[in-house]
Amino acid sequence: MEQVIELADLHLTLGAGAARVHVLKGVTLSVARGETVGLVGPSGSGKSTLLMTLAGLERPDAGTVRVGGHDLNALSEDALARFRGSNIGVVFQSFQLIPTMTALENVAVPLELAGRSDPFARARTELEAVGLGDRLAHYPGQLSGGEQQRVALARALAPDPLILAADEPTGNLDSETGAAIADLIFAQQKRRGATLVLVTHDPLLAARCARRVSLRSGRIESDDAR
Amino acid sequence: MTTPRFARLPFGLRFALRDLLGDPRGFGVFIACVAIGVAAISGVSGLSRSLAQGLSREGRTILGGDASFSVVARELSAEQRAFLGSRGRLSEIDLMRAMARRDDGQAAMVEIKAVDPESYPVFGSLESDPALPLATALETRDGVAGALVDPALLARLDVRSGDVVEIGDARFRLRANLINEPDKLAGGVGFGPRVMISRAALARTGLVTPGAVVRHVTRVTLVPEASDAALRDFMAAADAAFPQAGWETRSRDAVSPAFSHNLDRFAQLLTLVALTALVAGGAGVANAVQGFVDRKREQFAVLKALGGSGRRVFAIALMQVMAAAIVAICLGLALGALIPGIAADALRQVAQLPVAATPDVAGAALGTLYGLLVTLMFSLAPLGRVHEVPVAALLRDDPRPDRLWRYRLAAAGAGLSLLALAMVSAADAKVGAVYIGAAIGAVAALRGAAFLVMRLARALPHPRDPRLRLALANIWRPKSLTPALIVSIGVVQTLLIALSLVEGAIHRELERADAGEIPNFFFIDVPKEEKEAFRSFLEGLVPAGQIAHVPMMRGRIVAVKGVPVDKIAVADDAKWALDGDRGVTFSATVPVNSQLAAGAWWPEDYAGPPRVSLESKVAEGIGVRLGDEITVNVMGREIVATVANLRKLDWRSYGINFIMVFSPNVFRAAPYTELFTIAYGAPPGRDAVDQRIVRETAKRFPQVVSIRVREAIAAIDKIAGQLALAARAAAVIAIFTAILALASALASSQRTRLHDAVVLKTLGATRSWLLWTYGLEFALVGLVATIIAIAAGAGAAYFVTKSLMKIDFVFPAATVAAIAVATLLVTIGLGLAGTWRVLARRPGPELREL
Repeated sequence: MEQVIELADLHLTLGAGAARVHVLKGVTLSVARGETVGLVGPSGSGKSTLLMTLAGLERPDAGTVRVGGHDLNALSEDALARFRGSNIGVVFQSFQLIPTMTALENVAVPLELAGRSDPFARARTELEAVGLGDRLAHYPGQLSGGEQQRVALARALAPDPLILAADEPTGNLDSETGAAIADLIFAQQKRRGATLVLVTHDPLLAARCARRVSLRSGRIESDDAR
Repeated sequence: MTTPRFARLPFGLRFALRDLLGDPRGFGVFIACVAIGVAAISGVSGLSRSLAQGLSREGRTILGGDASFSVVARELSAEQRAFLGSRGRLSEIDLMRAMARRDDGQAAMVEIKAVDPESYPVFGSLESDPALPLATALETRDGVAGALVDPALLARLDVRSGDVVEIGDARFRLRANLINEPDKLAGGVGFGPRVMISRAALARTGLVTPGAVVRHVTRVTLVPEASDAALRDFMAAADAAFPQAGWETRSRDAVSPAFSHNLDRFAQLLTLVALTALVAGGAGVANAVQGFVDRKREQFAVLKALGGSGRRVFAIALMQVMAAAIVAICLGLALGALIPGIAADALRQVAQLPVAATPDVAGAALGTLYGLLVTLMFSLAPLGRVHEVPVAALLRDDPRPDRLWRYRLAAAGAGLSLLALAMVSAADAKVGAVYIGAAIGAVAALRGAAFLVMRLARALPHPRDPRLRLALANIWRPKSLTPALIVSIGVVQTLLIALSLVEGAIHRELERADAGEIPNFFFIDVPKEEKEAFRSFLEGLVPAGQIAHVPMMRGRIVAVKGVPVDKIAVADDAKWALDGDRGVTFSATVPVNSQLAAGAWWPEDYAGPPRVSLESKVAEGIGVRLGDEITVNVMGREIVATVANLRKLDWRSYGINFIMVFSPNVFRAAPYTELFTIAYGAPPGRDAVDQRIVRETAKRFPQVVSIRVREAIAAIDKIAGQLALAARAAAVIAIFTAILALASALASSQRTRLHDAVVLKTLGATRSWLLWTYGLEFALVGLVATIIAIAAGAGAAYFVTKSLMKIDFVFPAATVAAIAVATLLVTIGLGLAGTWRVLARRPGPELREL
């Protein structure tokens, strides 16, 4: 099966001086197209950093990151940005919407950046797909947490990315809203056939992924695929 | 166990100091803004005090005695000399303008100072190069008298030390260069180079004819030495003994009241510009305090959650800010104290001004007060949040401004105190109020414009272009840079545009001389008997020239409506008319360049009691109306004349203008001279024409002084240039603090920009895309600031040129546009440089922080 993510012997150290922490210690991981992977592990185990690295938001000190056949280490900062815009959708725990833009504009931004011809029509469709067809002109400050996360999900999915990277997407939400968001994520992933990599502390959410990878102290402790 | 730091201090102070020393970040711009403003204010005050102190300490040297009595076109009477001589030693000098000629006729105007080598100088010492005893330098050998000359004359006449020049009918050998005369300052501003000769030699020039403009100064050194009170008594006794003397008196403690007055006004102007710097830096203070509150938000919330009352937490925050302010003020005072010392040498060299560096406690107190008030004015509102906002809201960074009006009111109170202090400490409360009012008005207009721009940006339909959309959103978002950008860019551009327009207007005056709008030459001291001969001579030299001439004497207003002038209230802008001798003329008809404003001109054959026509502004300033009487001393004779009419003058014509014009019957028989002007524009080879006129005039009419108007204006332009340099230096300080404030605003908005930049980069935005977006935002905001700055700068320049300098206001659109665009580009560049750090970040590490 085609591997869309190929990570080999990743090392990453963060901080400086006494606060220096070796976060990733030789992680090797491959993910196939359309696979759903749950990254789990205790706080500080390196799962969010691993997600950031495979999403092209962090550069490793050593090791290779190939996504969709591209070596991310070889891309310049701007080339990496363009690659992300078209191939990787990211959902954050704290939504990270642009506060001065409406829901519609927030979703349209990656499409506009990628130079798509119909960004607003497409953004509208995406928002309708996550049940926010009536909130198009609302600013983030006027939306509930669950609604903001749905906007963030619509934004991540709008460019039809190869990979959907979600960093504790339900972490800031109550259990009911969180469950609804999780349903949406898996439904959209299934509909589009995207690869999903999801970081979570929630064992139930992790259980919904076809494959679970557990990290501890910067190393892969267990992997269902192995 | 170690003792905790500041253990003996009360809790609030202990906590504040510990916290501040533990984390002093973010106060750099704050301290710089306050310190620069305080340094400028205390430095200017210290400098003017040191100058005043220098003038008073060296008063005797500058004046050349304890008191001086000067008259024009005559000498003191024997009785007057005897009276003055009975109280002390006398020393006399004569000052006049004349032409110095080479044998081949090449000539230049000079300022003659004729002294008695035996008694001059009474105080201080004269410097010449080579150093010669004065008597040796000025003595007459083989019929040729000696002279000391300003080296400028050597260049102007292309002569060398040792050469001989003619002045009037006498020949002078240039024995040495004059380097310094101790009493130079008392002589005022001269238009030509100085030539020092002996009084005996002056008598031989034949220039001291009846009516010639010779200022005769008698200096008295009291014997025995007198106290200030005794000196005042002596001067009062002299005035009482000779009530009709018409002399101009000066004493060692007020060597030059006009100079001191101008010094006060100039110091005030600089103080106000320095205050602008402090207020412009206030935005930096506000940003820094806002940043401090943001940074410490969680800490304050925790302190409150642990039981600290709002008042206590507010007190801790205020103490930290005030501690930083005190550090800044001390730094500012230390810098300010260096200014008089640094400026002293420059002033001594450039203008031979005596500067006695003196500690200036009042100036330091003023700087401290201004520094504290500006800190309070700009920090109370941001600090108020610490007191009023509930713990949960603080933690959420909820921007609800609960009850913040109390702090805004207190900040406004500090602002009003600042205004009151500016008025009280200004030499002229009205000017202080107008200036500060205008400055606050300009800043308020800029803030108001910022508010409107933010509202407009929010109300506009969202553009399709995402960069423009984000730029507009950045303009209106909470904690937006818009107000800081508009105020900072606006202040910088307003100052630059106003300065350049004023300087442009001054240079335009020079161009008017080329356009033939004003005369090319003035000729003074043309004997009335040679009037027709001189006219024909000029017509022969420049047939196309426009020639005008009037009789001229020197006279001094000594009483108004019977009251001596030193006892009447005089408006500030009319004081110059009473300050010494002024030109006086008579005319049967309304003079050219004049326009009757009130009353009627006398009949051409009028033969009644003396009538006078006054310039209307001066008349108003000294409180004179039609029908009132003024007493004018002309060449020792007191004339009481009724004011028959008032005239408006076009001073800018540089033509023949007199504030006092008498009916002809008053002076017909008096020994006056004629004043001539000639205007011929700028014909080809004008310099050659100018030189021929000077040369031929000096040859044919050695007693006539030719004054080239271009040179006179250039001399004034040079002085104005020096003043402008000082004003420009002060403005640069204001601009610097405005830019500092802008930098601090950029720094305080960094966090929100970082958030957007990181999210947008995650979504695929490149650095150039983000750069365009921020560039658009800065350009849009800067454009608004530019429009306001052009209006404010042009308004300020219009006021200065038309009302204060009485010259034409010109608006060179291309220059203004160039300044505006250049400033705008620099600001956009600075803004983008400030955000470059943000753009260069990789999203990963930043996302962990967000």
